[in-house]
Amino acid sequence: MELIFGLFAGLAAGSVFALLGAGLVIAYRGSGVINFAHGSVAAYAAFTWDELRDMPGETGIGNEGGSIYLPWFDPIPEWGFLKALHINNLPVEIHIMTDPPAWLAMIITLAMSAFIGLLMHFLVFRPLRNSPMLAKVVGSVGIMLYLQAVALLNFGAANRADDGFWVFNSTSEPIANFIGMDDKNLPRSTPYLALAAIIIGAAAWAIYRYTRFGLATRAADENEKGATLLGYSPQFLAGLNWVISSVLAGLAGVIFLHKTMPNQLNLYVVSALAAALVGGLTSIPGAILGGLGLGAFASMGVSATSYSWWPEWLPVDGVRAFAPVLVVILVLYFRGHKLPIRGTVGLGRQPRAPATKHPMVGVGVGVAIALVMSNIFISKWESTLTMTLVAILAMLSLVVLLGFLGQISLVQWTLAGVSSFVLIRLASDGTKVRPMDFFVVWGPDLPDPIAALGGVIAAVLLGLLIGIPALRIRGVQLAVVTLAAIVAIEDLLMRNRPLMGTAAHTMNPTPKPKWFGQYVGALDEQSNQTDYWKYTVFAIIVVALAGIFVVNLRRGIIGRRFLAIRSNERAAAAAGVNVARTKMLGFGVSSFLAGLAGMLVAYKMPMVTSEFFSPFVGLAMIAFVYLGGITTVWGAVLGGMLVGGGLLSEFGSLHFEGITQAYINAVGGIGLVVNAVLTSGEGISLTITNQAKALVATMRGTTPNEGEKEEVVSTEEVNV
Amino acid sequence: MSSLLETTGLTVTFGGLNANDNVDIEITKGSFVGLIGPNGAGKTTFIDAITGFVPTSAGSAIFDGHDLSELKPHERAQLGLVRTFQSLELFEDLSVRDNLLVAAHPTTWYTLALDVFRLRQSNEEIEERIDWALEVAGLTGLEEELPTDLPHGQRKLVGVARALAAQPNLVLLDEPAAGLDTAESNALGGHLRGLLDHDVTVFLIDHDMGLVLSVCDFIYVMDFGKIIASGTPEEVRSNPEVIAAYLGEEAGEVQARSAEELRGISDTAGE
Ligand SMILES: Nc1ncnc2c1ncn2[C@@H]1O[C@H](COP(=O)(O)OP(=O)(O)O)[C@@H](O)[C@H]1O
Ligand SMILES: [Mg+2]
Repeated sequence: MELIFGLFAGLAAGSVFALLGAGLVIAYRGSGVINFAHGSVAAYAAFTWDELRDMPGETGIGNEGGSIYLPWFDPIPEWGFLKALHINNLPVEIHIMTDPPAWLAMIITLAMSAFIGLLMHFLVFRPLRNSPMLAKVVGSVGIMLYLQAVALLNFGAANRADDGFWVFNSTSEPIANFIGMDDKNLPRSTPYLALAAIIIGAAAWAIYRYTRFGLATRAADENEKGATLLGYSPQFLAGLNWVISSVLAGLAGVIFLHKTMPNQLNLYVVSALAAALVGGLTSIPGAILGGLGLGAFASMGVSATSYSWWPEWLPVDGVRAFAPVLVVILVLYFRGHKLPIRGTVGLGRQPRAPATKHPMVGVGVGVAIALVMSNIFISKWESTLTMTLVAILAMLSLVVLLGFLGQISLVQWTLAGVSSFVLIRLASDGTKVRPMDFFVVWGPDLPDPIAALGGVIAAVLLGLLIGIPALRIRGVQLAVVTLAAIVAIEDLLMRNRPLMGTAAHTMNPTPKPKWFGQYVGALDEQSNQTDYWKYTVFAIIVVALAGIFVVNLRRGIIGRRFLAIRSNERAAAAAGVNVARTKMLGFGVSSFLAGLAGMLVAYKMPMVTSEFFSPFVGLAMIAFVYLGGITTVWGAVLGGMLVGGGLLSEFGSLHFEGITQAYINAVGGIGLVVNAVLTSGEGISLTITNQAKALVATMRGTTPNEGEKEEVVSTEEVNV
Repeated sequence: MSSLLETTGLTVTFGGLNANDNVDIEITKGSFVGLIGPNGAGKTTFIDAITGFVPTSAGSAIFDGHDLSELKPHERAQLGLVRTFQSLELFEDLSVRDNLLVAAHPTTWYTLALDVFRLRQSNEEIEERIDWALEVAGLTGLEEELPTDLPHGQRKLVGVARALAAQPNLVLLDEPAAGLDTAESNALGGHLRGLLDHDVTVFLIDHDMGLVLSVCDFIYVMDFGKIIASGTPEEVRSNPEVIAAYLGEEAGEVQARSAEELRGISDTAGE
């Protein structure tokens, strides 16, 4: 009975998944892109709606209501000297009218969604239309990062709640005594929501089934000529499909999302992807049914947690998050193949991964700079420097997995978090570590190196577990799986109080680390004030060793095999490479490095929160290492300096006040897109090397042809 | 002469269509065996099947005493059953030399440690094998090029060299001469013949009739997934069924053609 109620109650959330899923399907059919930013588009619409309807006294930045915020941010906020020049800032807020009626607010919001859809089409996916799949994935992740950062800048971090309107009003009298259960009230809006999702889905389906435009889209799906014959330009179709997809996202944002939580909403894309996958990414009715089913399924799981037989270590949030993950992984796993079948289109040309010739020189220079900085400069820099070191280590793990092995896994930073949490759990003893601690973590009080090892092993095991689907799931779809895994790990593990200790989710006080009698934490052992010296030395050693490790990996046999798999799995197998085992090795090595990064975090902070390891920090890591160069150790170093809280970004904030994490992420998102569009993802480090080589060549009077000549030959692809 | 590869009743089905239908092929050790047939006959599918790239629906394949059915593609390659691909399938962002090295280096569970601590000495034997493979394929001097910088014909040969670098007992070549001119094709034929002296048995699929008829000891002819004829080059050339199969594809008096003239029948590059 509980379960049946759960089924019905879940239809409300399910209708959101359904509508978002349908939008994903439309974008996918329109231009072959899995849009990771789809949830963020819905979120932006939800904020826009709420902002328009905001009544005085409600929470939020603008309490007046009736204003819209254009989907960008003011790039020149408080930059002193620019302000003095009286440069007109980019307009962001536009006031429409105070207290606009619901229908007007609705139209404006949907127009905003359509506008965002057009921007995505013209600025990102149209330029990327002939790029490798990888570039498109990176582009859409960049948009996701950008949009969520801009939403944060424009709308603030406070949660919004909206009653909804018309039959969707969530405050109307609930349906009491539902299916004969005395204590259960079903919100009256729930059946209307499900109905609305079905009606909208059916309408969208009919449009694509019966109109000339729909026919042309389906024709263009097969080949571009088909659409032209029907009198449509393929690019017009793609653009229109982006608009429709985004408007559906906007509808989902307005009608269905009565609670608008920054960050959480963006991750609705995971459930939406699960829904879309049920329809094979191509069927709108499939996505609608998949979404409703998923909502019901997850909600039934949540109801099941109230039974006595339900194990305590499986928290409610975890169940809710795990349902879509299960669907995603199962659907993709069973549709996948061990080796790509003949004629499968791969990810396209990948960024080059040249071996570093003289790693010791680089390491020496890097260590020297780091030591000098940590010693000479003010303490602010030490915090920044150590954040850069942590980021470099995390990015090295990405260089191995994404750069060398070519597996688009978005989950590595989350694994760092797992390592951090497990380490804390293993090293704690249930007493207060520092006077200011609010919580205590119970644990076996293991020696610090062993606790660290335990954390790293946990990260590696989990990394290997996530690697298993990667044996059959490739490319973009792997990115989907790992994004789902992030959500599951966060809710199932990191926020799991029974497993991770009472303080999990909020703040886990870190133990005082001692390695072989030497204190290595960033807080002074006695005074508990920050004193980075010992920690910095420790972190430099760890990161330098990791850097050499990755350089040597690349120069060795295994590194070459990684690149071979990245390039062509069928050929690798034919050459005698055990593709499955080598992939697992890559996942293991990468997760090992991520685990070490988690250790450095635990030793740096007074307490560790799951916020610090949030998916968006992880995506920012990926964004910035792509920007730096995903295939080289130097790329990781550059990326580590660029990332929020890192050296260069901090340098920027010293000179330009008002640079916040959100700005950095927004810029990172833009950088990611630009990088994907302009350099097919080679990143700054390789671009610099290329330019330098070209310059040297020009000075010697020879023709520079390093980068160009690859393009020329790829025209004749005479295969299957 | 012992048999190196033997298939009995090998059948591969793609959605109701038998791409390979009860194929019995025997390759004796130290021989040079050819497989010809019109486009779409199922030749590539045969290689796919015995190297584990498509599942078989019936029949068996024994290689060097091993039943292949339970082995994964890379395990078959490690046994010395190495193939090339008609559709190139190179490591496009690795140099020619690295392409070969991937196939040439065996790995063990501690290879990663050797890599990371740089404990490996240079391996004479592997260097020699690579030089040899490059020479057979006529690629000497192109080690540092990227495959994408080479013309189509030479890219095919990178695949051949990579297969040879993997230390094959039996190498299965899927149209290695596609994209080569007559002189290059003849040179390749000569080099491939030389493989027999290195204990490498060769199985060759090619549309270049001149090449196949001149280098092979024994030839199988496939059409619609079935072996329709087999025998020495002379026998095959005068077999009426073979002629009919080719006539079905392209009108002309095949009978009258010399081996040299047979070149050009369906030698449209690729599939
Ligand atoms: N993976 C596959 N799935 C479905 N059909 C296939 C597949 N591979 C080959 N075929 C079909 O099998 C038949 C034989 O193809 P193939 O072996 O490539 O012929 P050949 O190499 O002799 O030109 C063709 O009709 C082809 O379309
Ligand atoms: Mg073929």
